[in-house]
Amino acid sequence: MKNINSNKMVWAMIFVIAGLNININAQTLTGRQIMQNVKDRPDGESRYSEMKMELINKRNKKRVREVKSYSIDIGEDKKTIMFFLYPGDVKGTGFLTWDYDEIGKDDDKWLYLPAMKKTRRISGSSAKKDYFMGTDFTYDDMGSRNVDEDDHKLLREEEFEGHNCWVIESVSKDKQSLFSKKISWIRKDCLVALKVEYYDKLNKLHRELILSDIKKVDGFWQANKLHMTNVQDNHQTIITLSNSRFNVDVNEEQFTVSNLERGDI
Amino acid sequence: MNIQKINSWFQERADEIIKKRWLIIILFVITLAIGFNGLKFLNVESSSENYFLEDDPVLVKSEEFKEIFGNDYFVAVLTSCDNSFTNRSLNLIRELTNELMDSISYADKITSLTDIEFLTGTEFGMQIDQIVPDIIPHDQNLLDSIRIKAYSKPKIAERLISKDGKLSWIILKLRTFPEKEVWKNEPNPVVPEYLTGSEVENIITKEKYRPISPKATGMPYLTYKKQNYFGREAGKVMSLALVFAILVLIFATKSLRGVLVPLITSISSIVIVYGILGYIGYLIDSSMLSIPILLALAIAIAYNIHIFSFFRRSFLIHGQRKKAVTEALSEMGWPILFSALTTMGALLTFLIIPMKPLQFVGFATSGCVLVTLLIVIFLMPALLSFGKNRKPHHSFEKKGGRWLDLKLVKLGSFVLKYPKSIIITSVVLVVFLIIGATKVEAAFDVEKTMGRNIPYVADLLDISESELGSLYSYDVLIEFDENDKAKLPDNLKKLDQVATYAEGFVLTKRTTSILNIIKDLNQTLNENKEEYYSIPENENQVAQMLLLYENSGGTESEYWMDYDYKRLRLMVELSTFNSGEAERELADIQKMAGELFSDAQVTVVGNLPQFTTMMQYVVRGQVKSFAIALVVIMLLLMLVFGSIRIGLIGLIPNIAPAIAVGGVMGWLGIPLDMMTATIIPMILGLAVDDTIHFINHGKLEFNRTLSYNISIRNTFRTVGVALFLATVIISANFLVYTTSTANNFVNLGMLAVIGMFAALFADFFVTPVLFKWFEIFGKEKR
Repeated sequence: MKNINSNKMVWAMIFVIAGLNININAQTLTGRQIMQNVKDRPDGESRYSEMKMELINKRNKKRVREVKSYSIDIGEDKKTIMFFLYPGDVKGTGFLTWDYDEIGKDDDKWLYLPAMKKTRRISGSSAKKDYFMGTDFTYDDMGSRNVDEDDHKLLREEEFEGHNCWVIESVSKDKQSLFSKKISWIRKDCLVALKVEYYDKLNKLHRELILSDIKKVDGFWQANKLHMTNVQDNHQTIITLSNSRFNVDVNEEQFTVSNLERGDI
Repeated sequence: MNIQKINSWFQERADEIIKKRWLIIILFVITLAIGFNGLKFLNVESSSENYFLEDDPVLVKSEEFKEIFGNDYFVAVLTSCDNSFTNRSLNLIRELTNELMDSISYADKITSLTDIEFLTGTEFGMQIDQIVPDIIPHDQNLLDSIRIKAYSKPKIAERLISKDGKLSWIILKLRTFPEKEVWKNEPNPVVPEYLTGSEVENIITKEKYRPISPKATGMPYLTYKKQNYFGREAGKVMSLALVFAILVLIFATKSLRGVLVPLITSISSIVIVYGILGYIGYLIDSSMLSIPILLALAIAIAYNIHIFSFFRRSFLIHGQRKKAVTEALSEMGWPILFSALTTMGALLTFLIIPMKPLQFVGFATSGCVLVTLLIVIFLMPALLSFGKNRKPHHSFEKKGGRWLDLKLVKLGSFVLKYPKSIIITSVVLVVFLIIGATKVEAAFDVEKTMGRNIPYVADLLDISESELGSLYSYDVLIEFDENDKAKLPDNLKKLDQVATYAEGFVLTKRTTSILNIIKDLNQTLNENKEEYYSIPENENQVAQMLLLYENSGGTESEYWMDYDYKRLRLMVELSTFNSGEAERELADIQKMAGELFSDAQVTVVGNLPQFTTMMQYVVRGQVKSFAIALVVIMLLLMLVFGSIRIGLIGLIPNIAPAIAVGGVMGWLGIPLDMMTATIIPMILGLAVDDTIHFINHGKLEFNRTLSYNISIRNTFRTVGVALFLATVIISANFLVYTTSTANNFVNLGMLAVIGMFAALFADFFVTPVLFKWFEIFGKEKR
């Protein structure tokens, strides 16, 4: 997922921009270059969205969480602020992240807990490979993964679900990574992945991501539905976006702890 | 039933067999080849979960538990050195931790001194960091500060590092193992548990880790070690048994054919039966693999000896080979067929015990008996018929048989002379043994069943007895009637009460639940003040703390509280094992928690409840299968001999081995486990042969002579030697088990020998006396 349909946090995987002016000559591109292009694809300077996360376990039990989220790009880095809307017992809980592109630099995170009226900065080596809030997406999937953390290879070009795609294999250089490789089907027209397969250390399919409901919002391509399935334990996460807006009126100074505690920006 | 008629039927078959001997040999070779091909599909496993049938409530509960909380199997490594807080030790612990996480295929999450979600609270925030910094210092002051940090949270320290700093505990949680259909389709399919165990072994035995002497534990590792150990041990025991069998056969038959034919019979019956099990994909537990093999060897030898000794006697008398073959089959065919049927009947009673290894023993052993029967009836006469005729051996006839035959006739006379003393002695012995049998206890723990003589068992026990380690555990599962109830502070407080109650048990080492995480979070969020190591007061606080925990990368909460916040789990690890105490504690905790959580369903799952359920199954199943086997044997005896009295009298010598085995187990404190549970029905299956031969010949002789004294003496002469030799050979085979380092093998060997001899003694001493007293074949002609 990582380097494909965006960078950084939740937004990253969600938005896809297919500018008509993107002119890519497949003949000359390597796997790495394609992935770099995917990562460098413009996706607006800032964005707002409401997100419904449905976590479904193999017994078909569902946990639903709803958040509203703002994010802004600052150079290669990114700041995101999220507020929980549902369920009731966590309503008002806020989550702020400063996500750094630099390899090895830990992200900064703060969480505001209204029940205790306390903000806690979460720092340290919380591994990127951990799953994000019980979903099947890892922080790593959602955040920015430097292109050079993997070795990329263009396997082939093929039609997938009616779109011309590059099929790229990305092999992780980090042994601790949750996956050994991933294979992505990337639409040539808009640099959006339609499907990503994640393989485990035994080279067996572990998770599969399907992106759908892809359409333009505010002139930017966006996949409104992300469906990740862990095929080994049959756990799934469906993220559905609504009320999305791009280039919203926010600035860097609003992504602060005091706004986090206020419950809005 | 008219025995003479049956015998003449067998005589006709023998003639046909001799005529079509080449066809029979070719058919046999083809069947053997097909069986041999099936061997490569054999499915041998060692997991105790495979003991249960698919629809067993214990397994269903355990599967449900796994679905909710993930794989409950883990691997743990105990390191030990003089001081864990040195640069070298910490580096090695870290290296080992990383290697376990990186190289174990099903690794999910690792926790060790060098890799832990260590929450620390400050006035401004919360930090999740490590106890040991990225670069491990050499400086003593810095090393001391690591030590201080490690012990700063006693509740966490007690799971990671011993108080003296010498031992450290690395625990690796595993991903849920894929379904069988998934891993079976791999190019080189390996059972996930076994694979995990072997990967752990490869890592911890590396030379570089020797200074911290890592020792591993956990069910996958135990499975791996068990399978390897039993692979080697069963191989060793079986080759020794084979050598023993050959030696005894040489001694007993003094003929090449007499040695080869039983060996061919037993090996082929095993190959054919295991081949079939391979084709149908039957799952076999590694420790039980050798039992049918040994029994097949014993049965093949016994059946062959019966035919062979009769054949040889006839051959010596008249020197005509084919005639001797026909005579042997016509006289021995029926008793062998009948005893095979009763043996199979006895062995098939294993099927009523709802445990896979015992059902396997039932299927495989009765299958081996059937194939052996077919080989002995069809192939053996064909093989014996090859060769030249010889001159009659006149001295044999004159002497009235050989030395052993004569001794046994004397024994017959002795028995007829002192019937009362024999019966009184037997009754006294039986009473003594029955008292012993009431003391038998079931046990499934490694210490009792395997014993410390096995190096890996000794290591496992050392670990579980150490300050940090454990081997056995159980989980108390609390299931509420509605979602979200599990995170209510009131329910968490009740869970705390249950945990405290469990901690008061003799066997408990420690408990783990969501409370460890929630209390730690609460303390961390409140500037690490110790008074906050408690359950928060309101519901939202709990929910938000858990969200904070998830968001900071904490993943452990899912192991302890389910998806819908409907279920809570309390894991209780044990420091020692005692089957009676364990059963009591399990019942206690279930009752206590059940009363406390009146709106929830409380169940106890995990390997310990599995063991106790197995014990109950085996004990109950043992009694049931023994009773059914006796009834089956009795009915068959009644039906075949056409007499209720024969059926009842015939039972007495068959109960003898069970009483002897039970009595010895009780008096010597040998536990009833999966292996010793197989002995009684197996010996019953073997012992009934002796009775059938004895009754069958007794009746035949009685019909000829109408005198109990003469017919009993003649029976001693005709079948006495065969019975004696069969018992000696089978016992010699079982005796080989006593050379093993595994307690259950030793017990199996010893008890089987006791059972076999108990059966023989009963047939030699008690059966003849009862024949005569009850006049079971009819009135004597005086």
